Amino acid sequence: MVLLALVLIPLIAAVLLLALRPAAATARGLALTSSLLTLALTLWLWYTWNGTAVTAINHDWVPAWGMRLVLGYSGIGLLMLVLTAVLFPFIIGTGYKQPVGNGALVNALLLFCQAALFGVFMAQNAFLFYIFFELTLLPIFFLLLRWGGEHKRSITIRFFLYTLLGGLALLFSIAYVTLQTPVPHSADFTALAALDLPMDVQLWLFWAMFLAFAIKMPIFPFHSWQPETYTMAPTQGTMVLSAVMGKMGIYGIVVFLFTILPEGSAHWRHVVVGLSLFGAIYAAVIAFRQDNFKRLVAYSSMSHMGLMCAALFALNTYGISGGLYQTFAHGVLMVCLFYIAGMMHQRVGSHHFAQMGGMKSAMPRLALLFMLVVGNAIAMPLTQSFPGEWLMFTGLWRMEPWLALAGVVLIVLGAIYMLYAYQRVLLGPDRSHTAPDADGEEHFLLVPLIAICFLVGLFPNLVLQLVDAPVQQLLNSFTSLP
Amino acid sequence: MVSADLLATLVPALPLLGALSIGFGRRKLSANAAGGLATALVGLSFVCSLLLFFGHDGGTRIVHLFNWITVGTMHIPFAFQVDSLSLWMMLVVTGVGTLIHAYSIGYMHNDPRVATFFAQLNLFSFAMLLLVMGSNFLVTFIGWEGVGICSYLLIGFWYTNPEYNYAGRKAFVMNRIGDVGMVLAMALLFLQFGTLNYTEVSAQAANFSPGNPLLVGATLLLFLGATGKSAQLPLLTWLPDAMAGPTPVSALIHAATMVTAGIFLVVRSSVLFELAPYTQDIILWVGVATALFGATVGLFQNDIKKVLAYSTVSQLGYMFAALGVGAYSAGMFHVTTHAFFKALLFLGAGSVIHALGGEQDIRKMGGLKNTTRTTYLTFLIATLAIAGIPPLSGFFSKDGILASTFAQSPLAYAVLVFAAMLTALYMFRLLFLTFFGTYRGKAHPHESPAIMTVPLVVLAVLSAIGGALNIPHVFGGHEWLKQQLATAVEAVGAEHLALSASTEYLLMALSTALVVLTIWYAWTIYGKKTTLEGEPADMPLPKRLVAKRWMLDELYAAVFEKPYGWLSRAFFSVGETRLAVPLTAGTGKAAHSVAEWMRKLQSGNTSFYLFGMMLGVVVLLLFTLLSV
Repeated sequence: MVLLALVLIPLIAAVLLLALRPAAATARGLALTSSLLTLALTLWLWYTWNGTAVTAINHDWVPAWGMRLVLGYSGIGLLMLVLTAVLFPFIIGTGYKQPVGNGALVNALLLFCQAALFGVFMAQNAFLFYIFFELTLLPIFFLLLRWGGEHKRSITIRFFLYTLLGGLALLFSIAYVTLQTPVPHSADFTALAALDLPMDVQLWLFWAMFLAFAIKMPIFPFHSWQPETYTMAPTQGTMVLSAVMGKMGIYGIVVFLFTILPEGSAHWRHVVVGLSLFGAIYAAVIAFRQDNFKRLVAYSSMSHMGLMCAALFALNTYGISGGLYQTFAHGVLMVCLFYIAGMMHQRVGSHHFAQMGGMKSAMPRLALLFMLVVGNAIAMPLTQSFPGEWLMFTGLWRMEPWLALAGVVLIVLGAIYMLYAYQRVLLGPDRSHTAPDADGEEHFLLVPLIAICFLVGLFPNLVLQLVDAPVQQLLNSFTSLP
Repeated sequence: MVSADLLATLVPALPLLGALSIGFGRRKLSANAAGGLATALVGLSFVCSLLLFFGHDGGTRIVHLFNWITVGTMHIPFAFQVDSLSLWMMLVVTGVGTLIHAYSIGYMHNDPRVATFFAQLNLFSFAMLLLVMGSNFLVTFIGWEGVGICSYLLIGFWYTNPEYNYAGRKAFVMNRIGDVGMVLAMALLFLQFGTLNYTEVSAQAANFSPGNPLLVGATLLLFLGATGKSAQLPLLTWLPDAMAGPTPVSALIHAATMVTAGIFLVVRSSVLFELAPYTQDIILWVGVATALFGATVGLFQNDIKKVLAYSTVSQLGYMFAALGVGAYSAGMFHVTTHAFFKALLFLGAGSVIHALGGEQDIRKMGGLKNTTRTTYLTFLIATLAIAGIPPLSGFFSKDGILASTFAQSPLAYAVLVFAAMLTALYMFRLLFLTFFGTYRGKAHPHESPAIMTVPLVVLAVLSAIGGALNIPHVFGGHEWLKQQLATAVEAVGAEHLALSASTEYLLMALSTALVVLTIWYAWTIYGKKTTLEGEPADMPLPKRLVAKRWMLDELYAAVFEKPYGWLSRAFFSVGETRLAVPLTAGTGKAAHSVAEWMRKLQSGNTSFYLFGMMLGVVVLLLFTLLSV
């Protein structure tokens, strides 16, 4: 029942918003209440979780196609549910200080998106997963098309077509594997996981599925939609895309590729790790000389996603646990960074560094908050990013030492672009301007997020214990690995 | 009686408490309140360390706080290791730290952000204590990175100056390059031993045979980390730039404590290094080369703090040379005495800068021995100590290193003795140009307040008598510090100096005589005549090369910094703007033309639609029939 409620609460709230069209303040209040309610439910799920996979709802839907309504979660799904539930109150809260457009409509779209995301992470049937997976796209599409920045039309359409292309490949793959199951066909994950597909099928099917997730995360060279979309989108849209929707790619890799196509994954892992790491370094190098703050954060996100994807395909305990753990850390980080980018945009009217700098004396509070976030971004130990990076590097070394070297280079490149960004935003000779320091509302949003950064950094086991058992189970399907 | 576990936890917790309370209360606290609180907390931490030290039974105590990272078979505890090595470092860090905190109350008095300064200084102390107290590599790494970020913040403390910001970033990034080695070493060690606890790693590694490639690799990677943090070749150019920070920061972070972290790390994992003779050779020669490098460049600096910075680089080189020949106790002894006299030198320099209203150029100083009497006397003691004049502390610690090096490599010994002569030369040049002759500036020099001079006096006493901590057998001593460390560091117990007493006497006499001669030489050019060097650009070529730091900065700028900037721009303008985005746009265009073609199907011909529908139903029926 709780699972159904997770989808229904934001859905009902969204419909209410659309039907009643209340004033912006009421709309935000309703949306925030809904997101806090789902947060409470998710935390309760987390608290009561006993370490085993849960299936709550199990109904036939279109039996001939193997489509069934199955909702449930494993530790990995629960981590994603927690991530979604924790971040949405902050994403909706961003609208208080950085409002966009029509309050009722924007919040309704955000809630639709949250409902679909909950669906994605709870679906235990591949078709159901696919439906939710594509549903997340619709509200974002409207959000971007309506309230995006420069070139919103062309960029949004390109983004939409690109991700849809990936989606079609996924749909085709799901249909294909479902037809391989014994009659009556079932697209349930349990049924698909039991398949033992021949190697030649796994080899090509891998790329069809990977394409969808690689575009979603995104991974080099499927990333070209990302920087311009993140830069153009309204802050809240960018947050949803980078902090949560990108994680559908990571999640998809684990539940589809690793469970249905273990041999295919093992066979192609070197290619994927190579691409991901190259992309991670490529994005980190680009970020250094970016003159647009928001785009710099977009590239930094791509860099981090590349490392996570590489770590997953190390196919060992440390890599997969570290990569999954990092989805949470990265989500929190992205909301923080894009929020700060939004704060700066409100103050100087631009995302360009040329308009910033020399502002620390006027904004000591913002400077401190930003520095704490920077510390998290460059994975200082005792912030949440560090345990993840340590695990990912260990995992990569386990696979191949020189891969760890390529990964660890990122801690240098990350420090280079992040500290340079901090300097360009705030430091330097004082500029005369009237921009205000971070105020109470902005503290209200950033302080809890930063508190999460340090809490999880100090006690990473809170998150790691969710994925520990499922990852061990997952690894059993890779016993054939050298 | 408070339990030892609680005391050990309090040692880092107190400065953390200070950092948090001063940081959050920075608008409400007065300058003196912030400084007083910060000093008191580090002082209390020192008291706790003393209590622990005197209650220490010579064993190794692990203080387990909680499980930090648990994944599969990986269990990384958040725990401290209290043994004579960490205790000794705790005493140095909190002891010297307290003095420097107190001094800062006077030095930073007029800065508008003084509370922020003390919060960051306390945070640094916390991180440094985690570094030395960690019971495994990863907890040490928390401190390792923590001191790095504090160093970054404090170097760029005066953030309106872009050069200072650059210096801060440079320090952090070069440290991070070293950290690449550190992280990889930890991954390697963990995957090999299944643990990162020092005690367990050491115990398991002891079963390896010497020269095992795995240990050589791990130790080389660890040493890469050490070169970054401790400013050794090739990762040293950040340290002179780090002088942009307030002078107490230079004293605490960039002389007495943080930069010795690399030495600590090697001593902590000495079991591994002892089994990797190849790495030890590299350490010896990197140390020797750095000692010489720093000493040569120090000769031509005109900024009082830059002279001291290159001196620090050089002295750290001595410490690594000691580690390279397996003389861990000699290295740790020099860490200690260096903390005393180099902190004193920096604080003395700060006092001079304070007296002259911010002037740092020694060409605009001179004759200050009468106006700043206490500063002069204490500075003199420190200069004699670093030059290695008996019976001051530096004599004993440097002699320990020289003797151990001679026993293993006479060539390295010769270079180090030469560097010692250069040390005396640049230090006495500094002393003479600053305090002797006539005043060449325009300010009105005055002695600093007692809050600054008292720490100078305390450090001067320590610099003078610190040698007593480890008096060698040839002087009838018992090498107390070595005995202490031997309880924690197995390799220290195995140290054996294969020199006869007469050889030792001879070596001491030789180096002392050479140093005294050098001082006399310095007196003739800088004391009597007050020779002033100009800018490097005016010097003849070989001299200019040395004065410009052997062009190391220019080399790095040309080989790494600039090309990296170009690469960043090129990836964006070519990779992204010219390739990736147009290709995506191509996908969009392709979709568009497909849509154009599809549009033609919508001809408006109803029978065509009906045909399409029929076709669709038939296909669906067939599909359902076949699949059931």
